[in-house]
Amino acid sequence: MILDSLKLDGKVAIITGAGRGLGRAMAVKFAETGADIVAAARTQSQLDETAEAVKKTGRKCLIVPTDVTVSVQVNALAEAALKEFGKIDILINNAGGGDGTLGKQLPEITDDEWRRGIDTNLSSQFYGCRAVIPHMVKQKRGKIINIASGYGLRGGKHNFMYACSKGGTIQLTRSMALTYAHFNIQTNCIVPGIFPHNQEMMVFFKGGKFIPIGRGGDDSELGPLAVFLASDASNHVNGELIAIDGGGLAGGITPTGVSPETSN
Amino acid sequence: MASSNASNDFSLEGKSALVVGAEHSVGRAAAVTLAEAGAKIVLASQEPGTDKQIKEVAKLVNAAGVKPLIRVQSASMRADLSATADFTAKQLGALDILVNTLDTPAYGPAEASDDTTFDKVMENNLKTVWMSCQEGARVMLTRGGGVIVNVTSVLAERGVPNAALYCAAKAAVLNLTRALALEWARKGIRVNAIQAGWLDDESSPANKNDEFSKNLLKYLPDNRLVKPEELGGALLYLCSPAAGFVTGESIAVDGGLRARV
Repeated sequence: MILDSLKLDGKVAIITGAGRGLGRAMAVKFAETGADIVAAARTQSQLDETAEAVKKTGRKCLIVPTDVTVSVQVNALAEAALKEFGKIDILINNAGGGDGTLGKQLPEITDDEWRRGIDTNLSSQFYGCRAVIPHMVKQKRGKIINIASGYGLRGGKHNFMYACSKGGTIQLTRSMALTYAHFNIQTNCIVPGIFPHNQEMMVFFKGGKFIPIGRGGDDSELGPLAVFLASDASNHVNGELIAIDGGGLAGGITPTGVSPETSN
Repeated sequence: MASSNASNDFSLEGKSALVVGAEHSVGRAAAVTLAEAGAKIVLASQEPGTDKQIKEVAKLVNAAGVKPLIRVQSASMRADLSATADFTAKQLGALDILVNTLDTPAYGPAEASDDTTFDKVMENNLKTVWMSCQEGARVMLTRGGGVIVNVTSVLAERGVPNAALYCAAKAAVLNLTRALALEWARKGIRVNAIQAGWLDDESSPANKNDEFSKNLLKYLPDNRLVKPEELGGALLYLCSPAAGFVTGESIAVDGGLRARV
């Protein structure tokens, strides 16, 4: 039955960047769909809030404060998950984001800023994949979901670190997919468009009026796509990127959803 | 363990779906998937004289718990698709979901393909999809929207020898999907595609015991063909309200083929 294949009952999912926004939304949705959650982020207080929301669904939530730019901490995250639950079925490499270099003139960007950005967005995902893969190979089953961006597919003015790291995410995904296809491990990317998490962002993105569908995404809309990619319903989807952007990339808008204004 | 509520997100309970090209393997699998998810179904064939095949598909849909209505292609494609879209809205009360699985594989050397071949391949693989989108949207637009999914192929983005026109038509369906998605984005119609990998079905050139099939299997990331039912997950996701922010997108179900060099 197709609907049963979309459930995550009994699965264990590690989600990085789970302290807020899309990460928390995915954690809660996964729990509602039957998975136990290993929530990682830097800030304990935010993780506590995520854990509270997860536990309301009746599922377990293990909190592991983690700096994903430090590989020993990411290894420890995987070990903590194994110790608590005995297995890892799903990894969502969600941590990351823009930084102070966005919009900066190229000569002004320091080595440190570049490295920190690439570490946060790309190296962290590599560390995550590397930490869980021996276990997934052993159990001959696994799902890895990397969060990319429209900037991973298209360029943007004064957007260097972010576009490069997200492009790297997509290539990491493809090479993971091909390397581990034989072990029944599927690695895919979600390419989120604009998800205004708060009123300030809503104003900045003009309420999403330049997005083809006429609005930004709601955090809750990301969960079901992640569920699909984490479930048995996607067992032959591998190395794929799925944009959830209200049509932004389909129109050749560069990057996802950001001008030109299409209509009112 | 308490059962989770996945079905809430992906259920199509109360939705009305039309599957065009339902006599083929992909249409058959699509219809069964949508029925399992609770949708009411109209099965429409792409060719005249396919009564027998469509009835077989109807049996499977029935087994999935939904009694489908049947339309066997009889008039010109345009007239037929137009009437079928209206029929669905009238009989099922709405046309919420349209799945176009129109497909006629065509192989042969480019030098041997004449203008008639061109017209035929484009008609069967592109023009029919275009007409079906138009007719489906005509009905959907009067009712506040709907969802269209066009099933195309990984060959939309990869060339292969001896299938130039087929590849061109499949690519056209992919970009048709994007363009229509933008055109109807604010009118409540989402348009997406599924790119099927090399299929294991009755019309596949890839499941023969010949050199082509053997080489292809070696090249595929997990060395196997795609079963038509494996498109079901992506199809259901795209058709469900859970994908409300997804339009103009395509999901490849190909085991990773499109990711490799």
